[in-house]
Amino acid sequence: MPEMTYLQAISDGLRQEMRRDERVFVMGEDVGVYGGAFKVTVGFLEEFGPWRVIDAPLSEIAIAGSATGAALMGLRPVAELQFADFVSCAWDHLVTVAAKQYYRAGTPVPLVLRLPSGGGFSGGPFHSQSPESSFTHIPGLKIVCPATPRDAKGLLATAVEDPNPVLYFEHKHLYRRIKADVPEERYTVPFGKARVHHAGDDVTVVTWGAMVYTAAEAAGELRGEGISVEILDLRTLQPWDKQAVLESVAKTSKLLILHEDTRTSGFGAEIAAQVAEDAFEHLDAPIKRVAAPDTPIPFSPPLEKAFIPQVDDVASALRELVAY
Amino acid sequence: MAIARDTEPLGSSFEIGELGLGRAELLGMYRNMLITRGIEERGHILYKQGKIPGSFFTGRGNEAASVGVATAMRPEDGGTPLHRDMGVHVTRGVEPWRIFAQYMGRVDGPARGRDGNVHLALVEQNLIAMVSHLPAMMPVAVGLGLAFRIRNEPRVSVCWYGDGAAARGDAHEAMNFAGVRRLPVVFVCDNNQYAYSTPPQFEYACANLADRAAGYGFEGIVVDGTDILAVYEQAKRAIEKAREGGGPTLIECVTFRMEGHAVHDDAFYVPSELFQEWSKRDPIGRFGLWLSEHAQLDETEQSEIENEVKALLSEAQQRAEASPMPDPAELEQGVYAESTEAPGGTDA
Amino acid sequence: MVAQTHIEVVMPQMGVSVSEGTIVKWLKSEGEATKADEPLLEISTDKVDTEVPSPADGILDRIVKLEGETVPVGTTIALITPTDAAAGKSGLLPEPASAASSAGTQAAAVSVPNGPGGGRTFVSPVVARIAAEQSVDLSLVPGSGRGGRVTKKDLLDHIERTVSAAAETESQPQAAPAPGARSQPSSAPHFETPGERQERETPGERYERMSQMRLGIAEHMRRSLDTAAHATTVFEVDMSRVVEIRTRLKPEYLGTHGVRLTYLSFVARATVEALRNWPWLNGEVRGEEVVTRGFVNLSIAVALDESKGLIVPVIRNAEGLNLLGIARAIQDLSERARAKRLIPDEVQGGTFTITNPGGYGSIIGTPIINQPQVAILDVEALVKRPVVISDANGADAIAVRPMMNLCLSFDHRLIDGAYAVQFMAELRANLQNWNEERY
Repeated sequence: MPEMTYLQAISDGLRQEMRRDERVFVMGEDVGVYGGAFKVTVGFLEEFGPWRVIDAPLSEIAIAGSATGAALMGLRPVAELQFADFVSCAWDHLVTVAAKQYYRAGTPVPLVLRLPSGGGFSGGPFHSQSPESSFTHIPGLKIVCPATPRDAKGLLATAVEDPNPVLYFEHKHLYRRIKADVPEERYTVPFGKARVHHAGDDVTVVTWGAMVYTAAEAAGELRGEGISVEILDLRTLQPWDKQAVLESVAKTSKLLILHEDTRTSGFGAEIAAQVAEDAFEHLDAPIKRVAAPDTPIPFSPPLEKAFIPQVDDVASALRELVAY
Repeated sequence: MAIARDTEPLGSSFEIGELGLGRAELLGMYRNMLITRGIEERGHILYKQGKIPGSFFTGRGNEAASVGVATAMRPEDGGTPLHRDMGVHVTRGVEPWRIFAQYMGRVDGPARGRDGNVHLALVEQNLIAMVSHLPAMMPVAVGLGLAFRIRNEPRVSVCWYGDGAAARGDAHEAMNFAGVRRLPVVFVCDNNQYAYSTPPQFEYACANLADRAAGYGFEGIVVDGTDILAVYEQAKRAIEKAREGGGPTLIECVTFRMEGHAVHDDAFYVPSELFQEWSKRDPIGRFGLWLSEHAQLDETEQSEIENEVKALLSEAQQRAEASPMPDPAELEQGVYAESTEAPGGTDA
Repeated sequence: MVAQTHIEVVMPQMGVSVSEGTIVKWLKSEGEATKADEPLLEISTDKVDTEVPSPADGILDRIVKLEGETVPVGTTIALITPTDAAAGKSGLLPEPASAASSAGTQAAAVSVPNGPGGGRTFVSPVVARIAAEQSVDLSLVPGSGRGGRVTKKDLLDHIERTVSAAAETESQPQAAPAPGARSQPSSAPHFETPGERQERETPGERYERMSQMRLGIAEHMRRSLDTAAHATTVFEVDMSRVVEIRTRLKPEYLGTHGVRLTYLSFVARATVEALRNWPWLNGEVRGEEVVTRGFVNLSIAVALDESKGLIVPVIRNAEGLNLLGIARAIQDLSERARAKRLIPDEVQGGTFTITNPGGYGSIIGTPIINQPQVAILDVEALVKRPVVISDANGADAIAVRPMMNLCLSFDHRLIDGAYAVQFMAELRANLQNWNEERY
C-alpha cells in the first residue's frame, strides 16, 4: 500500500474519479495551467484537456453557479474555490440555489465544491478560516471535513457519487504534514460515520479536521497521567454520526468538543445542544467546548497561536473535565 | 451613446416566410400569447378570490418577448425563464392546469407546493426553475451552456433577466464567464423599464443594457419587445449563432410592465401617460392586427381561437382545483436526493 | 456544618457467609447519649437476630439507616460523636479533603456533611439516574470528584463491590458484573411506585413485606426440597421408661442445676448415641463424595414468638454431653435464641437437626431437611394411647402407655430406607430401654 500525503491522497482520488467517469470535470481558478494553487491538480490539464480542467475567471459566483447548471445537465463538476474563505462570495448561490434546488424543484444537484480551509501558517484573517458551521445550518448541503489521507481520498469519491451539493473542506495545513498508507484502488468512505481515532474510557473528545491531531497529542500526554481519552473524528458534519457520539458519551459520561472554528455558533454548539438533549442522564460533567475565540484570525505568529486551539489548551481542558 | 444595433420592424409575409414560419406556426404563436395572457388574467381573479396564496406576478405586456424567444428554441435547448416569461413555459408545452395548480400550491404544480408563483419548470424541457434572488439563475444558465460545450452538443442555453437584476454581480460574472469561454448562451434581458418602482435612470447608467455586451466581448442587440416577429427573428439568429459556436449574444427586449410589480402593487409611481402610450402597443393586439393583415386571420377564426383558449383555461382551472394540497407529513422529505436517477434527475 | 471526628457505626457481619443485615429497631434516637457496649439497635440477618452494641461513649449524632432498611455488611448505619469531641462541636470546621480511597468497603476517609451545602452533595445526572436505578444511598459512596462529589466511576465501583460481595453468598445467587462492564450494572430490584402498588392490590387483600428472616427461610426451604430426595419414616416409641426417669430426675435437675429436664433432652441424648452407629445420617453429600464426622453438632430448632420464624441453634460436640449437659445446652440456647443473644457460631455448623413441634400436639410430621445435612428428626407429641402388650406368658392385653411418634426425614440420595429405619429402631431401643448410667 503506497504512502501518501493528505494532498496526494486528494489528488489521487480526484484523478481516479476523472478517469473513471467522464462526466467528472474540475473547475476553478488556476487549476489548469498552474496545476492548482496548492498543486492538487498538477498534470490534470495535460491528461484531461481544457474542457475537463477549466481555468475559471475570478468569479466565485460564476464558478459555483455554473457548476450547479452543469450538474443539472448531468455532469459531475468538482469545482474549487482557492481558499475556503472565499466561499462567502458564493454563499448566496450555494444557499439560495444549490441547497434548495432538489427540495423545491425535484432536480438533484450533484456538485462537489473543494474548499481549502484552516490556519496555522500566518495566513491572516482571509486565508485561514474554517467556515463550515454556517453551512451546517442550511438544509440541502452536505459538509465533509476529512482529517486523514485515507479518509480524504475515500470521502472525495463518496462526494462525487453523492447526488447532492457537497462542500468538501480540505485542511490545507494538513496537506503535506500528514502522511499515511492509502489504498491504491478506489474506495469510498461513507458520510455520517465517525471514526474512532483513539479508543478510551474516561472522557470523549469529538472533533474533526486538523484538530484530530491536536487532540491525539493531548491524549498522549494524559495517557501518561493514567487518563484514558477517546477521540472521535466525525469526518462529516452534515450528516454527522450522532449515534457514535451518544454511545461514547454513555460510556465515558464526559464530553469535550474541539474545533478550530470560532466558538460562538461553531458546530460544537449544535453537538453540545443535541447531546445535552439526548444524553442528559449519561452526563457526569458539563459538556465542554474548546474552540478558537470569537475574533477574526490574526496574522502574527504569537497571536495566531493564541487563536488556534493548542495541545495544552486541549490537555488542560481534559484534565479539568476528568477531575470534575 | 448606444452601440447596440437596433433592429428593424418586420413587414411582409415574405420576410416572415424567410424565417421559416408558416401560417400554422404563426397562429400557434398567437394562441400561445392568448393562453399566456389568459392564464395571468384568470390568475388575478383567483388570487382575489383567495384561491392563490402568497403573491401573484404577471408578465402582462411581455407576451411577445417570451413567446417569441421560446418559439425560436429547439426542444433540446434549455434555459432559465423568469416571472415575466410565462410565455416560455406555455410555448414549451407546460399544461395550463399545472400552472394553475402551481399558483394554488397543489401537488400537481411542478414544484409540488414547495415553491410558488412562477418558480416552476419542467427539467424534461431542460428548463430550470427560478429563485427569488435575481439574477441567481444567470450563472446557472451559463452552467447549462458549459455542459453543452464540454460535451460538444449542439444545444443552446437561453438566460433571462431583467432591468433590475442587471445591476447585481451575478449578471456580470455570468456574462463575463460566458464571453471568456464563448459558451453557447443567449442572454435575454426583459427590459420592461421598471424594477418595482425604480425607473431605468436609477437602475443603470448606460443608454441601453445591451451596451454592456461589448464589455463581455459579445454582441448586444436592442429589439422592440412588443413585436413578436422581430423578437423571433433576433432570437433565432442569436440561438443559431450560439449553436454554431459563435458564442453568446445579449438581446434586450424593450417592453413595458403593464401592471404593478405584483398584484399587490398598483404602480402609482408610473406616470399614467406611459401606460396609455404602451397600451397602444399591446403585443397581442399588434400581432392580431398583423395576422389579419398578412395571414388572413378573420374575426370568425379569431373568435374561434379565443373561445378555444377560454375553454381550455376554464377546464384547466377546474382540473387544478381538483388537485390535492400537499401532505404536511411529507414536509421533511426530499431535502436530500438519494440518487440522480430519481424523477427529475438529469442523469445523462 | 461538618464535624471531623465522627465514629461510624457499621452493619456487622453476623457469620462468615452473611452479606447484609436489616435494621429492626433503633434503641436510641438521634441526639441521645450512648455508652460503649450498650445496645444501640437490633438487627436481623438470615442467620440470626441480635443487638449491636455501641462502639463508644458519646452522642448518637445521626442515624443514617432507618428501621426496615436492609444494607450490606460494612455499611455505615449511624454516626456517633465521641464524648471528648462532642464538647468541641460548635463553630465552623473546615470541609474535609475529598481524597478518599475507593478501595475497601467504607468511606472512612470522607465524612458525611450534616445537610445540603457541601460540594459533595451535587449529583450529576448520570449519577442520579444510576443511583435511583440501583437504589444506592449516595451518602454512603465515597466521592473522588471535585469538592468530594460522587462521580460516575465512584458509584459504579461501589456497586461492583457491593454486588460481588453479595455474589459470594450461597443464599444470594446473583451474577457478578461482567469484567469491564461499567455502563449497565446487573438487574436491580424493581422500585414500585405507590400508583403501581395501588393497581395490583385487590380490595380485601393486604400486603406486607417479608422480613429478612422469612425471606431467608423461604429460600432455604425451597432449596432444601430441590436438593435432597426427601423421604420420611415414622416410628412409635413407648416412652414409659423415659417418663418414669424424668419424673424422678426433674426436681434434682431443676433444684441443683437450674435445668428444666424436657423430653426433647432425652430424645436428643438418645439420638446422639444412635448416630454413632449410623454415621451417614450425621453426614453430608458433597459432590460425589460423602462426608462423615466423628462429632455431632446437634441443631435444635427453636420457634420464635409471634410466628416470626425459627432459629436453629447448634449444640457443638453433643457427643461429649450427657443428659444433663444436653438438657442444659438446649435450655441455654433456646433462651438466648428467643432473646436474640446468640453468637454467629451458635447457628452454624450443625450436622443433624431435631425439631420439636410435638409441644403443640402434632403427632406426625414430614420435616424438611436443614441443608447441608441429610436428615432431620421430628419429635411429636407425647400422647397416652392404648397399646397391645404381651404379658409374661405371651398373652396379649391392652395397656395405656405414653407414646411418642418420631419422624425422620432423610435424604434418599445418600440414605436408603433400610438404613434409616435401622437407625430409628436403635433410637427407639435407646429410649425404651433407657440406660441411666450410660446416658
